[in-house]
Amino acid sequence: MNNVSQELLNELKTNGADYFSTVPCKLLGDLINLLAEDKSVIYTPAAREEEGLGLCAGAFLGGKTPVIAMQNTGVGTIITSLFSLGLFYNLPITMIVSHRGTPGEKIGTQVPMSNATKPILDTVGVPYFAFSDPADVKKVGRLVQHAQVAQRPVAALLDFDFWGKG
Amino acid sequence: MTYRRYELLKDLAPIMVDNALVVSNIGFPSQELYEIQDSPKNFYMLGSMGLSSSIGLGIAQTTDQPVISIDGDGSVLMNLGTLATIGNYGTKNYILLLVDNGAYGSTGDQPTHTSGRTDLAGIARAAGIDSVHVTQDAGAKAVLEQCMQTAGPHVIVAKVAPGSPKLNPIPMDPGFIRDRFMQSIK
Repeated sequence: MNNVSQELLNELKTNGADYFSTVPCKLLGDLINLLAEDKSVIYTPAAREEEGLGLCAGAFLGGKTPVIAMQNTGVGTIITSLFSLGLFYNLPITMIVSHRGTPGEKIGTQVPMSNATKPILDTVGVPYFAFSDPADVKKVGRLVQHAQVAQRPVAALLDFDFWGKG
Repeated sequence: MTYRRYELLKDLAPIMVDNALVVSNIGFPSQELYEIQDSPKNFYMLGSMGLSSSIGLGIAQTTDQPVISIDGDGSVLMNLGTLATIGNYGTKNYILLLVDNGAYGSTGDQPTHTSGRTDLAGIARAAGIDSVHVTQDAGAKAVLEQCMQTAGPHVIVAKVAPGSPKLNPIPMDPGFIRDRFMQSIK
């Protein structure tokens, strides 16, 4: 178990997060295992990122503070739902996005979507903040509060170095 | 089949709207529910086709009140993974009403695969949902009443004919729909 995942979960919860949905990535493996055992939050694995966004939207409507954790490849599949659900209804959903295809990546096919991730988020209008240092975990946690202020989905892009796997 | 979705919703709205939180599907289903019986407890999903079931499940996980997602055959086919999630994480207070008219109604009644060989109830059962019911026309009313009295998650595949009356878009701002719905839960 790698400490940054435990610290990240603690910081997200400290900032109010109490509902989580995930779609797997190897960088998110420890976080997903922690969530599966965490009885203090509601946790629902999703089959696909749009579904996770829908679950988080419902959780927010029901009064919870939702987080979706997903790989950056999911940013490609989730675009229309970000527009017509997350942004259209001004839903504060924190997106913890593992940024594959960054230095440390061993799989070439991850690189093209890696390069496109920030331009896509710019185009959609989702504020994002990129972190490469596990010491920044408190800043990542604060995005839960920032999503409430921004009244929209907000994303953290977390590369191999952040997860200590660079 | 003598009912369309409109006649079905007209039968079911008094049961749903007075007793449950309702997430209604993009396009004509939301317009029809709005016209039949508007309520602060209706969340009109105006975009994000396929996500009515997911939004409803997310709400159901936060409350003890009954929650009904109105979904369609075409839209659930866009998010079939949701049935597996409901099969594993569905809550007792959750009902998925799949209005199955075998057609993409809001775009001109092009046929969906459920008008061919595909059986949504079979998919739902295989996804791990135990309480799956298939109804036709007016038969949905008694089944919905029964589902609201018993522990779910429930899936009702309500078979009706394609076709929709001509209605207008819902004249409400999305922020208003959101805030009104959230205040009604408190």
